[in-house]
Amino acid sequence: MKTRIKELRARYDLTQEDLARKVGVRRETIVFLEKGKYNPSLKLAYDIAKILKTNIEDLFIFDES
Amino acid sequence: MKEKNMIILGIGVIVLVISTLSFYLIKDDAIDLFDIIAIPMLIVIIIFASYTLYDKIKNYKAGLPSKDERLENAAYKSGYYGFIAAIWSAVGINLIYNLMFDKDIRGGLVVAGVVLISGAVFAFSYIYFSRKGC
Repeated sequence: MKTRIKELRARYDLTQEDLARKVGVRRETIVFLEKGKYNPSLKLAYDIAKILKTNIEDLFIFDES
Repeated sequence: MKEKNMIILGIGVIVLVISTLSFYLIKDDAIDLFDIIAIPMLIVIIIFASYTLYDKIKNYKAGLPSKDERLENAAYKSGYYGFIAAIWSAVGINLIYNLMFDKDIRGGLVVAGVVLISGAVFAFSYIYFSRKGC
């Protein structure tokens, strides 16, 4: 799974720690999400999408292959 | 406030365990086989508790939660591995002891071994999953 978290985070000038604080997770969780090494819960995905003013489908890109 | 209390409680427990272990080690009696299993068990607990406490304090100072959904998943997954390790060690300890010494091992030692192995598997896999992702 690929994500656009890093790109959108940079657009809104947010650090990983800022985003982590806003959604109530640890900074490492944001690191793993950006690397595509962690699949978030629907709630966390929704919270991140809301903070980054986008929707879940645009934020997380699922690789069908 | 709850997280701060948990950190203080954790530090208290670690201090108590270390002081108890120190008193135990400096006693005059000879160390038997049970002690040889019990001491590494306590060392594993101390290392694991110290690591999780350090991690909690680090996040608490940064104003971040000490536990989130990723760590909960890591705990569930490590718990599963610990459970599997407990089952296999319960069978394996007696078998290995039997093959090596040609006699059965005391029940208490099997329990101690199971706790040590499953606890160590849980602790190290939890640290691994929390640092490398799961």
